[in-house]
Amino acid sequence: MVVGEVAVETDVVVIGGGPGGYAAAIRLGQLGKSVVLVEKEQLGGVCLNRGCIPSKSLIHAASEFSRIAGLSKMGIRLPEEKATFEMIEWQEWKNSVVSQLNKGVGQLCEENGVTVVYGTANFLSADRLGVETGNDFETFKFQQAIIATGARPFVPTILQRDGIHILDSTDILQLEEIPQNLAIIGGGYIGMELGMAFAKLGTAVTVIEATGQILPQLPTHLVREVNKNNKKLGIMVKTSTKVESAVIKEGQVELRVTSEKAGSENHSFNKVLVTIGRIPNTEELGLEQAGVKVDDRGYIHVDSAGRTEQSHIFAIGDVTPGPAMAHRATKQGIVAAEVIAGLSSSAADALVPFVIFTEPQIAGVGLTRDEAKEQGYNASATSFPYRANGRALATDEAEGFAEIIMDVDNNTLLGMFVVGADASNLIGEGVFALEMAARAEDLALIMHPHPTLSEIWQEAAEGALGHAIHMMNKK
Amino acid sequence: MVEFKLPDVGEGMHEGEILQMLVKVGENVKQDQPILEVQTDKVNAELTSPVTGIIKQIFFFEGDTVEVGTTLLVIDPDSITGSESGKQVNQTKSTDNSKESVSNHVRNDSASNRIVPSKMESSEQASITNQSHSAARKSRRVMATPYVRQLAREMQIDIEQVKGTGPAGRVTEEDVRNYGKDEALVSISQVSATEEIGKIRTTSQKATPSIKQERETRYHLKGIRKKIAEHMVKSVSIIPHVTSVDEIEMDKLVEVRENLKPFAQKRGIKLTYLPFVIKALVITLKEFPTFNASIDDETNEVVLKNYYNMGIATDTPNGLIVPVIRDADQKSMFQLAEEISSFAQLARDGKLSLDQITGGTFTVSNVGPIGGLQATPIINHPEVAIISLHKVEKRMVVREDQAVIRQMMNISLSFDHRLIDGVTAVKFTNRIKELLENPNLLLAEMV
Repeated sequence: MVVGEVAVETDVVVIGGGPGGYAAAIRLGQLGKSVVLVEKEQLGGVCLNRGCIPSKSLIHAASEFSRIAGLSKMGIRLPEEKATFEMIEWQEWKNSVVSQLNKGVGQLCEENGVTVVYGTANFLSADRLGVETGNDFETFKFQQAIIATGARPFVPTILQRDGIHILDSTDILQLEEIPQNLAIIGGGYIGMELGMAFAKLGTAVTVIEATGQILPQLPTHLVREVNKNNKKLGIMVKTSTKVESAVIKEGQVELRVTSEKAGSENHSFNKVLVTIGRIPNTEELGLEQAGVKVDDRGYIHVDSAGRTEQSHIFAIGDVTPGPAMAHRATKQGIVAAEVIAGLSSSAADALVPFVIFTEPQIAGVGLTRDEAKEQGYNASATSFPYRANGRALATDEAEGFAEIIMDVDNNTLLGMFVVGADASNLIGEGVFALEMAARAEDLALIMHPHPTLSEIWQEAAEGALGHAIHMMNKK
Repeated sequence: MVEFKLPDVGEGMHEGEILQMLVKVGENVKQDQPILEVQTDKVNAELTSPVTGIIKQIFFFEGDTVEVGTTLLVIDPDSITGSESGKQVNQTKSTDNSKESVSNHVRNDSASNRIVPSKMESSEQASITNQSHSAARKSRRVMATPYVRQLAREMQIDIEQVKGTGPAGRVTEEDVRNYGKDEALVSISQVSATEEIGKIRTTSQKATPSIKQERETRYHLKGIRKKIAEHMVKSVSIIPHVTSVDEIEMDKLVEVRENLKPFAQKRGIKLTYLPFVIKALVITLKEFPTFNASIDDETNEVVLKNYYNMGIATDTPNGLIVPVIRDADQKSMFQLAEEISSFAQLARDGKLSLDQITGGTFTVSNVGPIGGLQATPIINHPEVAIISLHKVEKRMVVREDQAVIRQMMNISLSFDHRLIDGVTAVKFTNRIKELLENPNLLLAEMV
């Protein structure tokens, strides 16, 4: 830094233009603050450029592709030739989607008076931020700062990621061809989403999971449908299995895996995808100059408003401990912006829903029955199957169920879960019901439009109360 | 099935307490037969059955507080009146048989045939269960909507501390807003002597039955108490109060009253000092019109009233109630005495109707029989003045440089300083003093 350099003064700097950061910046603009948003690469962050959006476009394409085989029973005759998936053409389509959203975020920032600076940010002190922009260096003096630098895929050193054979979740979405076979290390939601998508596109997929179950964060019964489909799609799942080494030989990756059941085995794959977790991007930010500490895993701890121990510096999203989800980051970002503007906002008591784009999708919010019982509730779980829903049958998506966890002492809803087609959209009603502290009656008494999947909530709620129409009720 | 919901029987009431259930599950009821008695903010009402039929379910117990619109019970109508089953009819009848406030909600609601909530709990029960359970329950998420949570944050209230009165213990917007008011009330209520008496009464009543000595006892402000609290806060926050105290020599009035007592007794009337004071007040109010007035806070206009409705602050087991004697200037001393004692009884029994407690233009608070030297009474908004009468007792006073014993009574007058100045107030009390010290003047001023 040049001595005596003039710093640009601004109310707030936001570091990172992902779903948390850009939302915070826009909200600050709305609240009349001058705000500088620093982005290293592209607005929209991992979510928009390398995560949620690109992966969902692949998952969607794969689902459409896999449905072709089932069309004939609906009377749709296709030409004799075999359908093919051209990943390179998919890349073009995906890029157009990403760039459209990207431009949208840029416009929103501009319209809300947010100054976007592209570069790498570094705290110089507790009130100054340096940004390297190509060959230039700019300094900003701020009143408040929001750290929203997100997280990146974690690849342990024994698995030397090269981006060609050993891939992380970003790399695999850049492929131009479908791999013949693929090993996925880590059967969490990213691994399973991508694994099932590639399996639908014709890849032979093997999932290696260290714990006893894929999607280990979920109760077993929510994972059952996915396990069934793994079999249908020919996905080989190795649970309770660890990877000991990975060696690249003649364009193939040789994995040595061990499990108690099978001992040590060697397997060879075209590609290996590593999805065992994410680590926060907090190392190269100069946080020590700003007086902000991280824990031994690199996370920044914050209060319900998003404040770090430096009360004028906030952190949001994947750099803070908790589920690494875009919607959580967005909520935290808006809260931090509002707190900076003097409003009494808090992210502490908002429920965080989850959505998993496996086949079928899984989504949920609130407490599982076991969690509810641990907290001392007298909880019941009632589910209603998709196969009893007319719409699900008419669209050939009859697998799955909706589940309602209810406090039987007063019929209030404690948790809502759904496994099946469009679960990701259906859970919106669940979040709303739980946030409004609804009772099962509230879901049961309202009209759900027919014929839609949303009727499963009404039926499950009626079931919880003992009077579902389209299934037998437990007495 | 007909769902019988708690109707709004008073002006914009929110909730009512079930005093008495007059029917049981399985009992046959006729249309218009009284089925339960509720107590709202200040009025008691008997609710009658909208249809003839059999009581199928009752969701609440006596003593429960229920929000307006909540289903109280379900009636299976007789087949003869079966055609009505698609309707919801709520009828109410005030117990005093006055024609006022009979609200008929008739809704043609095909949905009323729908499922009845299979289980309901009053807020009271729910909150008790919450407390009686182990510490595991403390980690539970407070039931409140996102808006209510935000409101609590804005009001800097820890939502965990707010007791929910909604179904199954939900914290409602009202709970959050009232939580703030409860706090405010503590300091304000100490200002008013009239107020204080009611308060001590209630707390001691509630506190004594518990054998285990807890350091604090908590219970919810509700019903009349809650209404009083809200009203006091409003009054104090709007009106700049000033209190002026004077003493009155009562010997002549004592004598007059003693002379009249036998006559009153013949008519079965209990004659207190109050009718005399009311007479004196009415005379004085006519001479000082700004004391019988109100300020319209919205239009900034003063409203002088040419009618004299005297509110009589009355202590009841549930708290302070102010029945209103209408057109006090047109009533005889005996009529006033009669009305005062009948109103006091109705108030204690909780049987006053809405029109008997509204429309006052000036309030008298008679705490004398209990004691007290002086007070700073809170004005009954939107009125502009209130007078407290204290104990009549023999005191040593100086008359013509001699120490003599006289029957003395203190009066405390609180007035709205926006409208009335100190000098006017003293002139006002001087005039009352004059009239009460020379009761013959009351005769002279008679219309």
